[in-house]
Amino acid sequence: MGSYIIRRVFAGIITMIMITLAVFILLRIGGGNPVEYMLPPEATQADVEKLTAAYGFDKSIWAQLGIYYKNLFQGDLGDALQWDHQPVTDVVLSRMPATLQLTAVSMAAAMIIGVAIGAISAAKPDSILDRVGKILAITGQSMPVFWVGLLLILLFSVELRWLDSAGGFARLGPKAIIMPAASLAFFLIASHMRIVRSTMLEVLESDYIKMIRAKGLPSRLVIWKHAFKNASIPVFTLFFVNFAALVGGAVVTETIFSWPGVGHLLVQALINRDYPVTQGVIFFVAAIIVFVNIFVDVMYAWLDPRIRLS
Amino acid sequence: MLDRVPATLRALRNAFRGAPKLSVFFIGVCIILAILPVSWITPHDSIEISPAELLNAPEFGAHLLGTDNQGRDVFSRLIHGGQSSVRVATAAVLLAGLLGTLVALVAGVFRGWVDRLLMQITDAFLSLPYLMVALTVVTLLGPSIINLIIVIGFLRWMGFARVLRGEVLRLMEMDFVRLANVAGSSRPRIMLRHVFPNIINTLLVLATLEVGLAVIVESSLSFLGLGVQRPIPSWGNMLRDAQQFLFYPGAWWFPLVPGIAITFLVMSCNLTGDWLRDRTDPTRRQL
Repeated sequence: MGSYIIRRVFAGIITMIMITLAVFILLRIGGGNPVEYMLPPEATQADVEKLTAAYGFDKSIWAQLGIYYKNLFQGDLGDALQWDHQPVTDVVLSRMPATLQLTAVSMAAAMIIGVAIGAISAAKPDSILDRVGKILAITGQSMPVFWVGLLLILLFSVELRWLDSAGGFARLGPKAIIMPAASLAFFLIASHMRIVRSTMLEVLESDYIKMIRAKGLPSRLVIWKHAFKNASIPVFTLFFVNFAALVGGAVVTETIFSWPGVGHLLVQALINRDYPVTQGVIFFVAAIIVFVNIFVDVMYAWLDPRIRLS
Repeated sequence: MLDRVPATLRALRNAFRGAPKLSVFFIGVCIILAILPVSWITPHDSIEISPAELLNAPEFGAHLLGTDNQGRDVFSRLIHGGQSSVRVATAAVLLAGLLGTLVALVAGVFRGWVDRLLMQITDAFLSLPYLMVALTVVTLLGPSIINLIIVIGFLRWMGFARVLRGEVLRLMEMDFVRLANVAGSSRPRIMLRHVFPNIINTLLVLATLEVGLAVIVESSLSFLGLGVQRPIPSWGNMLRDAQQFLFYPGAWWFPLVPGIAITFLVMSCNLTGDWLRDRTDPTRRQL
């Protein structure tokens, strides 16, 4: 088990090195000189050169890469070009709670609703509820999240005037999270529903459930106490997969609702050509994804010895 | 009775047994629209601004779906926009499928360190927050249809590579491939003549499902202003225009139309992909 964890962590570190390398080269080759975005339009060529040299952007790409990795291994992601030149780590981490909040709320909502509908439709396949659930799942997975967001704004802000659409937590308080979380949750409900329904149906067919049924246990207890417990394992995997996908995938939702998370930060950093912050956001989000993947793999290996020994 | 039906028609009917017919039909319509020139298929000009007809309500006979904030016929823009979206998504998936298939074939046939290296790269790509990276790349390279295709293609090949590699590894253990090996076939020949034809089914299923996703990625990027550029419409940038008029009284149909089109296409791809998967491999049928 120990050696399996070490192998996975080692592969994870290599993945992170590959990602940082790719992003670094992409930004240095693909992007122009970021300094030009920092100076006012009336700045002279000499000013540009001076500032370029001050930030070390005049060095060769390999020299810059060397400095970047030297600092990275010491836990330093550099300073932001904007944002009062604060350390990138501080800038990104100050936005992380908002993203995690949005992720947590939408996932919790999706899980409760998705699991409930999935379990109910598995208990009574081909009933009206099952069919409605199926339609909901198919629609939820086909609607772009940002369009759902627009529709929510149209309905609740424009027509009904119940909720404000922009401003984030600072201006609107806890109510601000309702619409962004709902639009993300609508997409997530579908995957939870499908997986709970199919595993529940599988479990309900198994011998031990037939045995309990034969003993005369009421259907309600069979489903919610015995079958549900075993069907919940894939839900936890899905939880982690979705979590990793959402932290990086909520960019558009955060932009529509001006939610002050890392996605919104990335868009701002790109507009300002703030490369250190861009690198920082992708670094932290990728690190979360890599960590979650390792965690899920290790959990599986722990549960299933065949994986760790192969 | 059955004998009267021509053999080709019967074969066709058989091929589409159990298909989600509406979805297949909708995908067919989209493909035809994507191939034909715009001026053939739109009733009005989809780009020319007409200041006299700003935000007209839908009216049968004049503008079927009304006009947008610049007086352009929404129905024409929907068709033209669909053409952009479908073209970008299809081209991106072709690129992704090509890359993924190549990686899968090389990794599965050569194995050893080649396989390990390619799978490590695949894992690295899978750990990328792809929407964030797509945003970054398109910002740096500049938004254009070609860049959009390249970005989506290069960020979505991993699914193909992962699944198809499994298939290749399974095929490599089968007798006909081993015999080809014994008979002295070269590895590229085994790859192309023996293994590749047997993974086309899976490739097709994956590609159908992936087109739906690519449509969503394209529309997300265009919605943020980083995809298809004005004045050329795409479903994503039509929604971008619509967003600015959300609070305009009576313009509620404006954000509805392109969104419904996206949803229909994605749904059609998902349903058709599921159906193709069941057809080609009944054991993996989802409950």
